[in-house]
Amino acid sequence: MEYDLSRIDYTLCGITYPETLKVLQSVNEKVQQKFVVGDKNGVLQCLGIKDEEPVVQFKTLPSKSITSVIVHSSSSGTNDDKIYVASGNEVKGYTRKGKVFLTVETLVSEVITSMWIIGNDLILCSGRTVTYCKDLNQLTSFMCEDRVLDVAAFMTANSTRIRLLLLIANKGAAIVENGKFITRVYMNSGPSRLAVPQSQRPTEICAFYGAADGSIGLILYHDSNLISKCLVDGQGLGSVVCVGWFRNYRGTHLVVGRHDGSIQLYLTNLENYEEKLQLKYTYFCGEPITSVCGGFIGSDEPEILASTFSGRIFGLRPRSLQSAAVVNVPADALASRRAKLENEITRLEKQTANERDKYQKSTRSLQTGLSMPPLLDIQHELTGANKNGWIEARITSAMPLDMLFIYCNNKLVIQTDTAAVLSLCPPQDQESDLLATIRCQAGTRRLWLGLRNIETILLESTKVLVYVLPAGAPRVARLIKFNLAILPYYCKHEEIDVNESERCLCELRVLGTFSVVEVTSWLNEALPGELPKPASYVNFVRSHTLMGTYLFCQYQRGSAIFKSDNISTIADLKDIISNLTIKKGLKVDITYDIPDNCCALAFENLTNEFQIQYKWKNESKLKNCLSALDLDTNLINSEGKLQLCTDYLRVWELPENLNETCFDQLTSEIEKWYTNWKKLSHGQPDSQILAELHESLENGRIEEVKNILTLH
Amino acid sequence: MQISTAQPVFKLELNHKVTPGVVIIAKYDGTHPCLTASAGYDKIIIHHPHGLVGGRAQRSEAHAEVSELNLSQAVKALAAGPLKDDCTRDMLLIGSPTQILAYDVHENTDLFFKELPDGVNVINTGRVGKSSEMLAVVGGNSSVIGLNGKGEEIFWNVVSGRVVAVSVFDFDKDGENELLIGCEDSFIRVMKNNQFIVELPETGSVLCLSPISDVRFAYGLANGTIGVYEEGIRLWRVKSKQNAVSLHSSGEWLACCWTNGRVDWRDGTGRVVRRVQLRSNSAGMLLADYRSLGVPDLVCVSNRGEVLGYPPHQERSGFNITKKYASEEDRLAITELMNKKQALLVELQHYEANAAVDNSNADLGHSQPSAMPTNTRLQVAVTTDCHEGCIQLAISTNNETIVRAALILAEGVFETGETLARHPSHGQLRSILFIPLRPPRDVPIDVHIKALIGYPDSEQFHIFELTKHLPRFAMYKLIDATIQKPKIEGNVTFHITERVQRIYIWINQNFLLEQDIEIVNEESKDINLNFKSLRDKSNLQMNFSVDGQVKLKTNDIRLAGDLIQSLATFLNLTNLQVCYFFLQFQL
Repeated sequence: MEYDLSRIDYTLCGITYPETLKVLQSVNEKVQQKFVVGDKNGVLQCLGIKDEEPVVQFKTLPSKSITSVIVHSSSSGTNDDKIYVASGNEVKGYTRKGKVFLTVETLVSEVITSMWIIGNDLILCSGRTVTYCKDLNQLTSFMCEDRVLDVAAFMTANSTRIRLLLLIANKGAAIVENGKFITRVYMNSGPSRLAVPQSQRPTEICAFYGAADGSIGLILYHDSNLISKCLVDGQGLGSVVCVGWFRNYRGTHLVVGRHDGSIQLYLTNLENYEEKLQLKYTYFCGEPITSVCGGFIGSDEPEILASTFSGRIFGLRPRSLQSAAVVNVPADALASRRAKLENEITRLEKQTANERDKYQKSTRSLQTGLSMPPLLDIQHELTGANKNGWIEARITSAMPLDMLFIYCNNKLVIQTDTAAVLSLCPPQDQESDLLATIRCQAGTRRLWLGLRNIETILLESTKVLVYVLPAGAPRVARLIKFNLAILPYYCKHEEIDVNESERCLCELRVLGTFSVVEVTSWLNEALPGELPKPASYVNFVRSHTLMGTYLFCQYQRGSAIFKSDNISTIADLKDIISNLTIKKGLKVDITYDIPDNCCALAFENLTNEFQIQYKWKNESKLKNCLSALDLDTNLINSEGKLQLCTDYLRVWELPENLNETCFDQLTSEIEKWYTNWKKLSHGQPDSQILAELHESLENGRIEEVKNILTLH
Repeated sequence: MQISTAQPVFKLELNHKVTPGVVIIAKYDGTHPCLTASAGYDKIIIHHPHGLVGGRAQRSEAHAEVSELNLSQAVKALAAGPLKDDCTRDMLLIGSPTQILAYDVHENTDLFFKELPDGVNVINTGRVGKSSEMLAVVGGNSSVIGLNGKGEEIFWNVVSGRVVAVSVFDFDKDGENELLIGCEDSFIRVMKNNQFIVELPETGSVLCLSPISDVRFAYGLANGTIGVYEEGIRLWRVKSKQNAVSLHSSGEWLACCWTNGRVDWRDGTGRVVRRVQLRSNSAGMLLADYRSLGVPDLVCVSNRGEVLGYPPHQERSGFNITKKYASEEDRLAITELMNKKQALLVELQHYEANAAVDNSNADLGHSQPSAMPTNTRLQVAVTTDCHEGCIQLAISTNNETIVRAALILAEGVFETGETLARHPSHGQLRSILFIPLRPPRDVPIDVHIKALIGYPDSEQFHIFELTKHLPRFAMYKLIDATIQKPKIEGNVTFHITERVQRIYIWINQNFLLEQDIEIVNEESKDINLNFKSLRDKSNLQMNFSVDGQVKLKTNDIRLAGDLIQSLATFLNLTNLQVCYFFLQFQL
C-alpha cells in the first residue's frame, strides 16, 4: 500500500523547462519543506504548503525565462539554502528570503540549461560551452564537441581538484578535469539527465542517468575507466526529461519524469548501485513531466512533488494518508479550498467573458486594429528513421489539442496514436499531395506522428506542414514545419575512425569553391537530426539503423569527402549534391571511387541480420497461417486432443507483432545496391540478374546472393 | 479529466472461444440465468452454474459447468425469450444462414423449425404493437419477419438494405412497442403496424441498437460512432477508431463494449467516466442478474471466454466504495478546477497580449508571425456547379488576408474519411477558396468548416469555424425549363390535398436554391420545376397542379422514392397512393 499514491494539486505556474522545480531543506525543527519553481515568464516562486494550500514565501517579477534552478544547502549546516536561478546567459543567487546576493553573466550567448554547485564553485552548461565559475566570480570556460546536456562535479581524493562528469549530446559521457578530457564513454541510448546518489564516499564518481530512448542506467568511473551500464530497458517508455530522489522508510527511490507524461518510481539498492532497479509505481498525467523531487511537502510524510510542461504543480502521496485527519489538516480546509477555487473560477470566467466581448466588439468595429495573439506554446521534435523506416514527429502543447492538419506535397504513409482519429482527405486537384487530419481525444496535450516516405528516389528533403489547432481559446492554429531528410536511416551517431574501420568503403569526393556552411546545407537535406556546427574542419560518423552501414563525413572549405560501405548511400549523396549545386549555380567537381567487391563485402557484414530477418519473415508467415486455422487455445492446452509439433507450437504462441520484420525493406535495399553499382560503373542493370537476385533474396539463398553481388 | 477504472465483482473462464456478437443470457428453467454463446462454427456452449442442462447438450471437457450443443450448421445468431404460451421459461432461438430453430433447452424439445430463404442476420424477441404475444423478430438480407411461438408468421416487411440490428422499443410513447431496425444502408428505421413511420439517416452501417430508458435508445455504427437518440432527436454521439460490440445502460450511465476489449461508461453527454480493458478482444456484453442478487450486472465476455461482471453504477456510492476517502472527492474536484483555471488563464493571457499590441503599434501588420486585422470576417456561400458536377463551398475573407487552408468535417460524405481539406500552393493563396463537395446520397448534411486565416507567411493562423446545413436534395440544380424540355420516361403520380404555399416551403427547405421560390401570381397556381442532377446530369421534373395532382418525372426510382418519403413526412401523410412508371420495371 506504500506505493498506492494519489494526486494532490497544489498550484499553477507558467510553462516550465526541465529541472526548474527544487525542494529546499527544512528549517529548524519543522519537518515540512518549502520548494522553489521558476517558469517561462521568468517568475521565481518559493512556496510552502499549509493545510494543502500554497503559501507564497517570495515571488519575483516576470523577466527572462528561467531555464534551470538548483538549490545548494550550505556546508555549515545552518540550513541556509542558496537558490541559483539561470535565465538566458545569466545566473542569479537568491537567499531563502528572496534576496538577490549574486548575479553572474556568462560570456556565451546560449541559454544555460543545467548547473551544478560544488563548494563555492558554480558550473554552468550552455549550448556546447561549460563555464566554470570559481568562488562565484572568476570565470573560465571550455567547449565540447556537441551540446552539453547535464553536468555533475566530484571532489578528487587527497586533492583540491574537481572532476566533472558531463553528458554530451550524441557522444555519451565524459570526465573532464581542468578543461581537459580525461576519458569518455560512448552511449547510444542518448543519456540526457544525471542523478547523483548521496554517497558515503563523495569522491566516488557515480551517477544514474535517464536517456532519450527511455532507458535508465548507471555511469561509473572506476580505475580510470568510465563504464556505463543499462539498468532499465527503454523499450516502449517515453524519453526521460527529469530525474530526482524520493526517500521513505522503504528506502531510496529514483524518480523519473518522462516526456510521455509518466512518473516512475524505482527502488534502488544503495549498497550496490549496479543491481537492477525495481519499478514500484507509475503515474500517468498526460503531459510531459519537467521536474520530480521527493520531500516532506504537504504533510509529515514524504511525498513526490512534480511539475509539468504546462505549469501544473502537484504532489503524489500515499492514498492511506489521503484522509484529512491523518495528515493534520483541519476537516473543513479542503472544502474551503475547493470553495475558494470555485469562487476564483467564477471571477475568472466573468473576466474572460468581458475580455472576450471586448475582443469580439473589436472584430465588428470599422476601425481596423490588429489582432496579434502570442504564439501557442508548442514543442516539437523529429527523430530519425527506425528499422522499419518510420520517422517520428512528436508534438507537445501547453493546452489541449483539438485537431492537427497535415499537408505534404509528396505522398507519405502516416500513422498516429491509437487514441486519435486519423483521416486521410481525398487529394486536391489530382496532385500527388497528402492531406490528412488527426482528431484528438479530449485533453490530449502530446501526440506523435509516424511518417514514412513512399517514393524512394528523392533529390530534396520532404517538407511536412503541420497545423496545430488547440481545443479552447485562443482560436489560432500554429504552423509547424518538419523536414524529412532524404537518408533518414542515418540517425545513429558513431565514434569510429575511418582508418580503423575494416569495411570496404566507397568514396565520394567533392571539390570546388564552397564553404563549410554550404556543405552543412547539403547534409541538412540528406541527414536527419542536428549536424555539427560549421567549423574549419568537420568530421563525424553516422550509421544506418537498418543496414548498420557507416557514413563517414569529412569536410572543410573547398573539399568534402564522404565514405560509406553502402553503395546506395554514396550514389544518393552524389545525386543530392549535384542537384543542389546545379540549382545554386555552384561549380563543383564530383568524383567517386567504388571498390569492385564492395557490395559483396557489405552483404557479408549483413548476413547475420539478413538471416534473422529471413527467419522472422517465415515465422510471421507461418503464424498467419496458424491463426487463420482458428485453433482453440483450450483444446491445444488440454492434453491429447489436438497436437502441434513443438516448432509450430512455439511460433503459434509467439505474441503478436513481436518480431515485426523488415525483411522487405532489407531486400529492396540490397537490390538497390546492385542497380546503383551498375549505375556508378556506367553499366545498365541487367533485368535478368536483378530478377535472379530478387529470387535468391526472397528464398534466403545467401550463397547465391553473394555470388551475384561478387560476379556482376 | 479524471477517468477511473472499476473492479469486477465476479470473474470466470469458460475455457472456450466465443464468437463475437453471438452471446446471450437466458433463463431456460425460468429462474436461473445461463450464459449461452456460439463457440466456433456450429457449436453452442451453455454455462449453467446453477444446475445441469440435460438432453442433447454434452458436458464439455474443458469446463465442468459448460455444456456443448452441436448443430450441423453455422450459428449466425442467438436469441432467447419466453415464446411458449403460458410458460415463463426462455426458449433458445438459433439462427443459421437460412433457418431458424426454436429449442426448449429445459424440456429438450424443438418448439419449431422454419426455413427463412431471405437469410438470418439477427434475432430478437419481444412484444410488438397491440399484441401481447411474445414474438421472435428475425432480420434478414432485405426483410424483417415476426414469428410467434408456433413458428407462424405474424408480420413480414421489406427493408431496403440488410437488417443488422433489431430492437423492440416504444418509440412514440403510445404504450405499444415499435420495431427499431438498423440497416446496412445507414438508416435506423422505425416500424409500427407493419409500416415504416420514421427513418433516421445515419453516417454508416448500423451495428447495434439498444433501448436504454423509456425514451432513449443507443446505437453503434460500423464507422466507430456511438450515440443516443431521444424521441428521434440525437442527444450526443462520439466517434472512435473501434466499433461497438454492445451498448447497455448501467445505472444512469451508458456502458459501451468495444471490439478491442475496452469497456467504458459514459455520462449523459457521452463523456467517458470509467474504463476497463479486457484481456483480449470482446465478444459481447449483456445485462443480467448473474449473481442472483435482484439487480442486473453488466456481464462482459471476451472472445477467449473470459467473463467479467460489473455492478451497475450508482451516483453516490461509485464503484470502489471501500477505497474512497471523504477528502479524496475534494481533491479530485480541485484537480478538475485547476484544469479549468488553467484554461481560463491561457485565454485571458491571449486577450491581454492582444490589448498590448493594440496600444503599441498597429502598422507592423504583415511582418508579424500571427497578425490579422481585427475586423476580418469570414463569409461562406454554397452554390451548385453544374460544370464540375458538385456543390461549391466558397469561403472568403473581407480584406487582404488569405485563406491558408480549410477543413471540412462531415460524415458519410467523403470516401476516404471524415474530412476534406484544401491547402492551396503558395502562389495560389487568395482571400477566397472554393471547395467542391459531392455528397454520395440524398440526406441532409451538416458540414463543419474550419478555415485558417492569416497572411501567406504567417506562422500562426486564426481559426474561423462555422457550420453550414446542406438540404437533402442539394445535388439537384434548378434550371430554366423554358430553354429545353427534356423527355423523361420514368415518372410517379399521386394526389395530395395541400395548400400550394406548403409545397413551396418544402421545396425551399429541401433544395439548394439561389433564392427562395415564391408564388408568382395568383392565377397560375401550378408549380412546374426542372432540376438537373449534379451527379449524372439527369433531369428531374416536378409538377404540382392546382387540383392536387403531383407528377414527379425522373428515371431514378430511388430519387422518386426519396422525394415522396420526404414530402410525405413534411406534410404528415401516413398514407399515399402512388402510381409509377419506370422503364426498367416494365415486363
